[in-house]
Amino acid sequence: MRYVNWLTAYGPTYLNALGWTALTAVLASLGAIVLGCALLLIRLTAGRWGKRAVDGYVQVFRNTPVLLPIYLIYFGFPLIGLPWPAVVCGGLALVLQNGAYVSEILRGSFRAIDRVQFDAARSIGLGPWHTFRKITLPQVLVYSIPSLGNQVVLLLKDTSLLSAITVTELTMQAKLLTEQTGAAYEAFVVVAVLYLVLVSATEVFFRAAHRSVRWTH
Amino acid sequence: MRRGISHSVLATVAVAMAIGAVTQAGAQEKSRLDLVLERGKLIVVTMSTAPPFAFNDDKGQLVGFDIDIVRLLATALFKDPTKVEFVIVTAEGRWPAIESGRADLGVGGTTVYPDRAVRVAFTRAFIDSGISVLVSKKAGIKSLNDLNQDKHSVANLNNPQMADRAKRFFPKTKVLTFDTPSAQFLAVRSGRAQALQIDTPTAEYFAAQSKDEFDVLPGLLGASQNNAIYLKPGDFKWWLWLDTSVGELRSGSWYAQYTEVYQKWFGRNPPPQKFYLQQH
Repeated sequence: MRYVNWLTAYGPTYLNALGWTALTAVLASLGAIVLGCALLLIRLTAGRWGKRAVDGYVQVFRNTPVLLPIYLIYFGFPLIGLPWPAVVCGGLALVLQNGAYVSEILRGSFRAIDRVQFDAARSIGLGPWHTFRKITLPQVLVYSIPSLGNQVVLLLKDTSLLSAITVTELTMQAKLLTEQTGAAYEAFVVVAVLYLVLVSATEVFFRAAHRSVRWTH
Repeated sequence: MRRGISHSVLATVAVAMAIGAVTQAGAQEKSRLDLVLERGKLIVVTMSTAPPFAFNDDKGQLVGFDIDIVRLLATALFKDPTKVEFVIVTAEGRWPAIESGRADLGVGGTTVYPDRAVRVAFTRAFIDSGISVLVSKKAGIKSLNDLNQDKHSVANLNNPQMADRAKRFFPKTKVLTFDTPSAQFLAVRSGRAQALQIDTPTAEYFAAQSKDEFDVLPGLLGASQNNAIYLKPGDFKWWLWLDTSVGELRSGSWYAQYTEVYQKWFGRNPPPQKFYLQQH
């Protein structure tokens, strides 16, 4: 009864916040996957220094809590004349960190490709870019689907950190409602359920994507 | 057969009533005051980001006006100001910490509002407060009118009272909502916002700390407010002890100790003990 009353009174106020969480998660996930692919391309084609640069990048972002780049970008960019909106700054921080993770996931899957394919590609006259675009990337992405699914779930949950920089996503909404009403349990339990729904939807999507590619085991 | 059923119904009702009576009696007997005295220390929920009420000093020690008030309470209970365990939470973490019974009471620049008092109990106020606007000197804002422009942003905390005041006093200004005062200050320092709303003592404290960076705008947003101890409602004996103690601090037998703490944090005397008494 307590929760029914709560939902009738405050349920609609969650919808906007749910939209922001979902939108940030989807766009940042796409950005992270694109960045991960780009990092893999640099690692494979830009020689020894390219490889080192990518390694350095991955180390830096894998070894810092994501709240740090979120704060640095949000509070630091205005100092260099870039007062971007909070959601853009937060999204960028999520892309930068998750891109590092995605590039590592893709690197793992790259090993699963038979080297013979690259010899075959060269023998039919494909350059490095076309080999990457037509041979490497499609296979790497497909092999990575389950791990990418996991990473997207992690990213989705990390969007809650954007509440620290004024983005009214689900966690912020719960904080606002708690401060307004003093009712902490109701506000956060509803948000927990909504996160669970989003995560489940993500998992269903990635499982379907995995199944739809017939040629994997 | 019929008699058997009615007997068992009666028996069940009797047992249920007995259990109810026992648990109720138990709940009535045990006040948190007794628990605290048995335990030998106070457990207090507070924040570490609300100077000068409750914050970490340069050495990382939790200090502040509210912290010293709690130490006076511990002195009254145990003759020892160190018998306190502090639980540090964020602003919105205050209410569940009290509702769950994790802490005996809470302090930390907490303003009394009637809508908050629905969920938590408050003692009488242990300090007068108000809300002021702190502005960055660089912004060239001299009054609330200057601030009320859509090119300016104000940094708020995530309580609805801040949002209401922003709407009332500077409706055109953009609002940014943060969950800690430190993030509010970062926002002003980085140029995200030109101003922030905060408790008057905190605003004065920061303006005094960094004179060339911040100004306090003249005029309060709403004249006077009360900061008080909050606790779980329903425990009369515990509430009565706390409320009595606060009363004695502000205008009674412990006014001298209260004055000492007030002087330490605000550099001036507290309001007079009684309005009809001459202060020296």
